[in-house]
Amino acid sequence: MQEFLESIQYSEFGLWVAGGDTIFAYPTILALHTLGLGIVVGMSAIIDCRVLGMARSVPLSDLKRLFRVMWWGFALNATTGVVLFIAAAADKAYQEIFYVKLAFIALALMTATRIRRTVFGGTTDAGRPMPPNARMLAVASLVLWMGAIVSGRLMAYTQTF
Amino acid sequence: MATFVTWLRDTPVSQAFRVPLEWLWPLCESFHFLGLALVIGVAGFFDLRLLGFMRWIPIRKAAEFLPLAKTGFAINLTTGLYFFIASPFQYSFNIAFWYKVTALVIAVANAAVFELMLKSRAAVLRDDEDVPLSFKIVGTLSMLAWLNVLYWGRMLPFWSPPGGGADL
Repeated sequence: MQEFLESIQYSEFGLWVAGGDTIFAYPTILALHTLGLGIVVGMSAIIDCRVLGMARSVPLSDLKRLFRVMWWGFALNATTGVVLFIAAAADKAYQEIFYVKLAFIALALMTATRIRRTVFGGTTDAGRPMPPNARMLAVASLVLWMGAIVSGRLMAYTQTF
Repeated sequence: MATFVTWLRDTPVSQAFRVPLEWLWPLCESFHFLGLALVIGVAGFFDLRLLGFMRWIPIRKAAEFLPLAKTGFAINLTTGLYFFIASPFQYSFNIAFWYKVTALVIAVANAAVFELMLKSRAAVLRDDEDVPLSFKIVGTLSMLAWLNVLYWGRMLPFWSPPGGGADL
């Protein structure tokens, strides 16, 4: 395992990302990762807050497309996340908080999928009442994304190198 | 400037922020990123609507989500102030910080133009009406400005001057 992690971290690509003499390497990839975070959590916040009662004049069905925007943001972050991992594989793989972050993201995505299915399901319209667990799912979604942000931030404090 | 920064660093508040309140730093950073998501996500959503995307949502209704972006902004102004007070040298002599502040001023001024001059027009805009050019200009400026705030904020640690250590 250690051998594999080091082989990707010290591959030509990994070294370029970590120390390439261009702003397009680490700094820009990190900035894109942050932009993706804004898209994913921002869209999620809009959806969750609408479910919790904000902006009631906007029909739920009008916001359904935001899930698609959210998935594009997630695709950006999955991609940049893998690249950032490669650049520091042998260190990040041993950070417990990294796995906590991944768990939060997995749970948040599962919650988003459930909200889309149960609250925004095909027949949902402005007149149809929300399922009883909708508010709980929305709160869970907000808490889980916050957990992902906090654990992501903490990764910077528990680095071993 | 150096005089002010040195004075700020030596104030009891600044010292307390570094020790014993150093645990506030990662906490404030986490909230700063939450605020970032609210500003980028919600303001970005509204800017796209101003540009003419998602026409099925009337602008005045999309605006009902703006308090979320404003909350994010308030969170980030507060936590940002904490960072600056706790570590003034790290920021004052960092060119990325001044780019960020410039973009921030533009973004806020642009939002004020919308609030004070265009919002009343959005309220009476018919749902099927085309987006006025002024809305598109404000929306474009807003997106560019906030993206610059994010980008230069993210660049802060990479442009950190040697003098940043003077905070400690």
